[in-house]
Amino acid sequence: MPHIRVLSPVGEVKRHVLTAPPLPSDLKGKTIGFLDNTKTNFDRLVADMSGLLRERFGVKAVVHRKKANAATPAAREILEELAKACDLVFAGSAD
Amino acid sequence: MTLRSEVLELSDSPDAVYEAFCEREWCDGLPIIPPTPERVEAMLAAVTGDPGESLGPLPPLWREATLEKLAVNAVMAGCLPEHFPVVVAAVEAMLDPAFNLYGVQATTHPVAPLLILNGPYARAIGMHGGAGCFGPGFRANATIGRAIRLILMNVGGGWPGRHDMATHGSPAKFSYAIAENEATNPWQPLHVELGFGPDESVVTVFGGEAPHNVNDHVSATASGILNTVSDTAATLGSNVKWYLSQSQLLVVLGPEHAATIAGDNFGKDDVRAFVFEHARLPLGTLKLGGMWGIQDWPRWMMAVTDDRTLLPIVASPKEIFVIVAGGAGKHSAVVPNCTFSRAVSRPLTRVRP
Repeated sequence: MPHIRVLSPVGEVKRHVLTAPPLPSDLKGKTIGFLDNTKTNFDRLVADMSGLLRERFGVKAVVHRKKANAATPAAREILEELAKACDLVFAGSAD
Repeated sequence: MTLRSEVLELSDSPDAVYEAFCEREWCDGLPIIPPTPERVEAMLAAVTGDPGESLGPLPPLWREATLEKLAVNAVMAGCLPEHFPVVVAAVEAMLDPAFNLYGVQATTHPVAPLLILNGPYARAIGMHGGAGCFGPGFRANATIGRAIRLILMNVGGGWPGRHDMATHGSPAKFSYAIAENEATNPWQPLHVELGFGPDESVVTVFGGEAPHNVNDHVSATASGILNTVSDTAATLGSNVKWYLSQSQLLVVLGPEHAATIAGDNFGKDDVRAFVFEHARLPLGTLKLGGMWGIQDWPRWMMAVTDDRTLLPIVASPKEIFVIVAGGAGKHSAVVPNCTFSRAVSRPLTRVRP
């Protein structure tokens, strides 16, 4: 059977890939951030995890910030604040 | 013309090509036109720009929307070269941050970008805005809408259940593209209202649910028809209203309803004002479901405590778009948006003379 040449429709990534810094080996004395996606019960999860992180892992402080809503990106001010204040940030995805 | 895409050699039979694209998850489940280099070059010849030019990275996988990749997918969808400038303009519009394409692609909600084409180019390529315009039968509508979906899947990476997390998806995700029925519109067409000239050709993308039918065989007045429109638009289960600053509503009036409304001396501003005032739900109903508890509302709405208070589904009348489309019959439609995407319009600037 004869052949036909066709082109792939799949796009290619050309963006520079950012490398995340390594996770800290120890949370003692560290500041932990939570970026809350606003969906139901994530605030409760943060409250419970904050207690655990302080009691069991010696975390110094927890910063909890909420996006305006679940479907839009976090405001630049929130990201800048978390980046400045925290050693580690959890992105919340309650659903 | 230099093309850079990976080349596959397949057996030259429709079945073999179809099978190969299905296996690779490169199509929507329907047969495709094989994107040969010759066909892709013909598509690209319809627009200005280099094949390698990217309109930007397309979410959720942030792969580059090069003109070449858009053309490959447009060929697969069955587009004619003269359809391609519409596809390109629609992708440009979807990449505007206001459209929030990442959210539109990745959400569990069944949103699909609805393309509305206005102006002389719609007439030139046979984009249909008359009877059955949301349905099958019209090549320009079917293939331009399908090209957008293939691009969102193959370039953006929004595969159902994997990056496109829609719970059910929607038939509108196969193809969702119409023209406005400007010939039967008693008012200004959409693009003129938005500030473009009547002779410009403009594509508008609207992140909407599938059309909700508005059946009104009874009303013989503007207020009667628009009460039915408003009642259909304000439902607890629809997404529109929960993130108020980005909630928008599209009202698609059938020509007969539009004529009745205009016959009562209603302009489009009157239509918008009426629907804004009447498409409302009581606070007590809103508390029963939907996204109650995680809504993003202005302070004044959050301060309401009386369950009988009627609350709007959009922030102001200007967030209601009114177009005329369809054929004979006493039906209209409302298309609520997904509540986190704003409509964006782009003129067709890349048509090669």
